[in-house]
Amino acid sequence: MSIRINVADQMGSKKMGPLALVSLIILVIGMFVLPRYLKNAQLIMMSRIFLLAVYGMSYDILRGYTGFINLGQAIFFGSGVYMGVIFLNIQNDLTYFMLAILAISALSVIGGYIMSKIVLKTGGVVASAMITLALGEIVRSIAERWRFVTGGQDGLPMRASRVALDPLFETRIGAYYFALVFLIVMTLALRQFVLSPTGRVLLSIRENEQRSRFLGFDTNKYKAIAIIVSALASGWTGVFFAVIARFANTDYLSIQYTLNALLITLVGGTGTLYGAIIGSAFVTWINNFLLTLANSYPGATILRFPMLFIGSVYILLVIFMPYGIMGGIYRLQAKLNLGKDK
Amino acid sequence: MSEIILRTENLGISFGAHKAVNNVSLEIEKGKLTTILGPNGAGKTTFFNLVSGLLTPTTGKIFFKGTDVTNLSPIKRVEAGMGRSFQLTNVFPTLSAHENIRLAAQSHQKVGFKIFTNHRKYKNVNEKTELILERVLLKDKKNTLACDLTHGEQRKLELGMVLALEPEVLLLDEPTAGMAIEEVPAMIEIIRNAHQSGTTVVLIEHKMDMVKILSDRLVILVNGSVMADGDPKTVSENPEVLKAYLGGGMLDEVSS
Repeated sequence: MSIRINVADQMGSKKMGPLALVSLIILVIGMFVLPRYLKNAQLIMMSRIFLLAVYGMSYDILRGYTGFINLGQAIFFGSGVYMGVIFLNIQNDLTYFMLAILAISALSVIGGYIMSKIVLKTGGVVASAMITLALGEIVRSIAERWRFVTGGQDGLPMRASRVALDPLFETRIGAYYFALVFLIVMTLALRQFVLSPTGRVLLSIRENEQRSRFLGFDTNKYKAIAIIVSALASGWTGVFFAVIARFANTDYLSIQYTLNALLITLVGGTGTLYGAIIGSAFVTWINNFLLTLANSYPGATILRFPMLFIGSVYILLVIFMPYGIMGGIYRLQAKLNLGKDK
Repeated sequence: MSEIILRTENLGISFGAHKAVNNVSLEIEKGKLTTILGPNGAGKTTFFNLVSGLLTPTTGKIFFKGTDVTNLSPIKRVEAGMGRSFQLTNVFPTLSAHENIRLAAQSHQKVGFKIFTNHRKYKNVNEKTELILERVLLKDKKNTLACDLTHGEQRKLELGMVLALEPEVLLLDEPTAGMAIEEVPAMIEIIRNAHQSGTTVVLIEHKMDMVKILSDRLVILVNGSVMADGDPKTVSENPEVLKAYLGGGMLDEVSS
């Protein structure tokens, strides 16, 4: 018998068991101790995992909770990366980092608002997905032509600063901790958001938007809030990402990076929020693995097309793990509990 | 005559050449239970869709508590005090029964766009939810997902969601449709209780016997127009009505 559960609905309904709590604490402490034993390349990979996890969660707010497919999510992420590089190129310290955060916040709120105004006119899921796709491509092509600011296709590298570099941005360990704290804070914040009354209405929209309207909820307003919250989280992640990537180009604005978020939520499990953390680890690892493989066997032409493998992973996942890793775990748990009751 | 809470004026809608609802002018009195009866395809649900704002009429106007609401969205009409249920069960399938009702209670308590407080911390919403769950007899099923409830329970859940909105006018579209016969009396009891606590009820029904017990007034809708209107006894014995019903193949219901 297949069990129907709604992970999002059950979130936070039970107190965490002592075992789960202890393992979570050990995991977090472990993450704080870990950098001592890692090389620079591994530190970068871990930081990427943390940041892409937040990006995935921000995407899950729309896809998993609201049932809204945004194919232009990378606009906010990519803009964040650009803001980070642009501001830290002026001066490489925490003040300018915060200014970049402020700038992307304003941009995300305005951009998210405009996007929701355009998209929510149509109503249909597919139609709005297509519109967001078009919006994403428009922004990306503008960025590509606007060489003066974005550096076009060559991209925008972060200049080595002439003033004393903030240790936070100079060492990879600094960036690691920076990303880790960001992940923890954002996980708690987004969890709070999905558990709020507004988050609940978003769930109802995913379930049955018409009914939600007949309960008196102005669903378009709620969807606009979801788009803006998600845009903010993605934009902030972008600024943090600039610190570890030390480079911005239009790839970060492209559909490729939206699909990354989609893949992360797919692997982790849509509508599970934390699933994005597992998804991010998996996707980052597989990308890294393919890259290493391609470098070790330069003769193998097939390895130069990583999308070939990642695309296959997509297909296999949708067929064999429709609920993703976290979704699968929750379902297994529900099945075991069902056995216990009887 | 008591106060008119809901009034339609020459209300009509056409789909192509077909006039689904044709010049319906009705006055619904406050506190009364009015039933709209008619054969399949008579335009009953379409009439509800117009009144609740799902469809926009081609002709006529709708007045609610004296104000013209013809061009208001369903959301605004709910805010003004209209609540409707649907003929085809219309709930949030993979949310628990409790959450289905809680959302309705959240809407009624005007919690608003809060984004940083836990939804479980609103005492008045929780109390309201428990109260409604008890009223629609779903207390011991509250943690079951709506899609795992039986059809009859889903109908009760649907009714509970509307009741949680505490509407001034309750528009119920065949609340017992598809229910097992032994579940019907409980449903009637819930509706009667809501009506007796002062809510105006407009009911669409098929089952003549149920209607006779409950209603203060009976409106017969045939081919989109009002054929008869009055107290249940007179209307149900009207020969014209009986004939229309025979045409609609409803002989059993009428004669029983």
